[in-house]
Amino acid sequence: MPFSLPFEKGKQLTVIYGENGTGKSTICDAFEFLSRGKVSSLENRGLGQTLRFWPSMGKTPSDISVTLETSDGSCCATMTRSGEVTAVPTDKRPRAEVFRKSQILSLIEATPGERYAAISRFIDVSGVEASEGALRDLIRDLRRTQELAIAGLAQNQETIHQFWETAGRPATDAFAWAETECQRGTESFEAESAALNALQIAYARLVEIPDRLKAAQQAVKAAEKSASEAAKTLEDTVQTASKDAAEVVAVLQAAQAYLAKIPTPKVCPLCESEERMSNLANRIRLRLGAFSTVQASQSNAVAAKQTVQRAEQQLEIVRNKAREDVTRFEEVLAEFTWPKDIRLPTRPVPTTLTGLAGWLKDSVELPGEWRMAEIERHDRKQFVATLNHALETWRENTAAQKDLARLIPRLERALEIAMEERRRFTDEILASISAEVGRLYEAVHPGEGLNKISLELDAKKRASLEIGASFCGKDTRPQAYFSDSHLDTLGLCVFLALSALEESGETILILDDVLASADEPHVDRLIEMLYSEAIKFRHCIITTHYRPWKEKLRWGWLQNGPCQFVELMRWTPQTGLALIRSVPDIERLQKLLGETPPDLQSICYKAGVILEAALHFLTLHYECHVPRRATGLYTLAELLPALDEKLRQALRIEVQTGKDSAGAPIYKTVHLKDHLDELTRIAQARNVLGCHFNQLSFQLLDADALAFGQQVVELMNVLTDGDAGWPRNAKSGEYWATAGETRKLYPFKKP
Amino acid sequence: MNSPSQRLADKILKRLLHEKLLSEPEAKKLLPKLADGKLRSQDWRLAIELSTPRKTKP
Repeated sequence: MPFSLPFEKGKQLTVIYGENGTGKSTICDAFEFLSRGKVSSLENRGLGQTLRFWPSMGKTPSDISVTLETSDGSCCATMTRSGEVTAVPTDKRPRAEVFRKSQILSLIEATPGERYAAISRFIDVSGVEASEGALRDLIRDLRRTQELAIAGLAQNQETIHQFWETAGRPATDAFAWAETECQRGTESFEAESAALNALQIAYARLVEIPDRLKAAQQAVKAAEKSASEAAKTLEDTVQTASKDAAEVVAVLQAAQAYLAKIPTPKVCPLCESEERMSNLANRIRLRLGAFSTVQASQSNAVAAKQTVQRAEQQLEIVRNKAREDVTRFEEVLAEFTWPKDIRLPTRPVPTTLTGLAGWLKDSVELPGEWRMAEIERHDRKQFVATLNHALETWRENTAAQKDLARLIPRLERALEIAMEERRRFTDEILASISAEVGRLYEAVHPGEGLNKISLELDAKKRASLEIGASFCGKDTRPQAYFSDSHLDTLGLCVFLALSALEESGETILILDDVLASADEPHVDRLIEMLYSEAIKFRHCIITTHYRPWKEKLRWGWLQNGPCQFVELMRWTPQTGLALIRSVPDIERLQKLLGETPPDLQSICYKAGVILEAALHFLTLHYECHVPRRATGLYTLAELLPALDEKLRQALRIEVQTGKDSAGAPIYKTVHLKDHLDELTRIAQARNVLGCHFNQLSFQLLDADALAFGQQVVELMNVLTDGDAGWPRNAKSGEYWATAGETRKLYPFKKP
Repeated sequence: MNSPSQRLADKILKRLLHEKLLSEPEAKKLLPKLADGKLRSQDWRLAIELSTPRKTKP
């Protein structure tokens, strides 16, 4: 069944009263459905997935539709068959915080971790913490680098000092000496080293000359000897053979060559005879064989002659090379200005082999000295390079050390600031929440809340939040010592404080039956506190089954100016949720008085009850004398005389009628005596007309009944304010006032 | 409304500016990264180094 809940314009608080089973939580569910797309009232009831229970019995998810219509526009939330909740338009979706009776202890009884999670969105600075961690890492790394730089610096200083000591402590100090040494450069060592190396190479080539020349000369001699022997052998072989052997061999070789081209000639190519032509080639081969020794001797002789020529050529090459080496050596000597410590040959290199051998013998020690000199220069170069490197590293380490010495303290100060600010920031938020919780708690439990409730982060544990409270002067955990009622109030105060922290002006606050365990008189204070807190929110809806609240509103005992009170009828499958408007009795009486024709019995009855309420208030206030009775029930005949003459004379009300141009309230004084006297005179109308069948009523005029009703209305209009309630506030110490001091009741005490 | 991290980052940078540990341009550059937890070691170093007053040469 569709249900519509109209909200009265200008009323920021809506109190929904209904007995159990009238649908209070369903209205809260509707707001949660619209705002957050969920229904949490069914959670933790052992239902598992609750989605299928969201619709009423026999309905489907797609039957659910919740619309909030405001002057700002409307927003409608529906549900698809798959269970997805969509709200259109999304930008009009209201923000709501729903707090249910079942959740009231959730923050109190939760673990410190869960409690932290609940408020983490207000104090979560994990982003800054991560950046702070990077700064901490940087400082640690730079400290390590600084330590290494300091150690490196000490090592550099020691190395340079050792060099200085080794050099015999020249100059005034090690670093001045090192600077000078390094400025000299290593070019001269390199040039001397290269020249010495070239000199050694050139000398080594001179050393090789005698052996090479001797070897070449011996080769010539050996070749000449072989050639001579070959010539002698050839001569002997030729003499042994026929005189014309050489010519014959030549003819035979020519014939053999001819037969190779023409294997079977018919005639002899020399004499043109056909005789003995058969087997001619074979016979020529046999005859040439007989002349082979001569041929071999001839070949040997030719080869030996060629060997002599080659040996002589080689000898000439060696001689030329020797001349070049000598020239090169002289050039090397001449092209460099040799330092004094380098010993050189005392005379030029001789051009004869014999002379060279003697020269080499005289200078045999020089290459060794040159080698040593070269090594010495190389070492010197290496030393300067090492010294330079040590000096350079020392300079770099010194500079790095200076940079770090300036940078690290600045970074450390930055980290200090980041940590300080983070702690202060978190502490301030927690302190402000604690103060707010304490303020709210104080309003309900006077003297127990201010500066006595605290939220504390556990420094030893991450994301851990404890609730602290002062009990009997000692700081302790409230869970251990507070009553259930106190804990309920504390839970509600924590929820209200947190809800007010975030966009409260945009938030609809919904409190579902949270007054359950509060006891008298705390519940009155709790209600007053909720009244005053409701104005911080866009709207506040409170559901309750607490009947006194309904009655107190009905009688105007609570300030109900900003409050809309609605009452729910019992839910049935046929009617679904249904509203009753709870009208204060004074309004009902005024309505009865305005009816035509008037219902006199109803007017007198209603006026009598209201007058009883007013007299009950005044007699209690001024501790008037009435018969002592166990039931505490009194009639008008007992209550009216209790307000004696002296008190009646003193009773007056200042009624606020407006404000002057400076904003100061303007009051009109009304004395109650006349009202009370008149009511005493006509009070019998209540019994005669309003309560019983009575023949006396036949004698009374309608005007008397109407006058009784009218007089009660006038008394109530003076004594109470429809919006601000009854004058119960004694703060001034001079009078009793309504909220906002719209009424001031004098005297403060019975005269 | 700014997140708690953003509000805290703003406070921290204001103090670093006040104590002259950061210059204004560097603080502006750091603000979003500081709040988001994306500030790396080298970002801190560069920002502080660039904001350190140079010694004037005689």
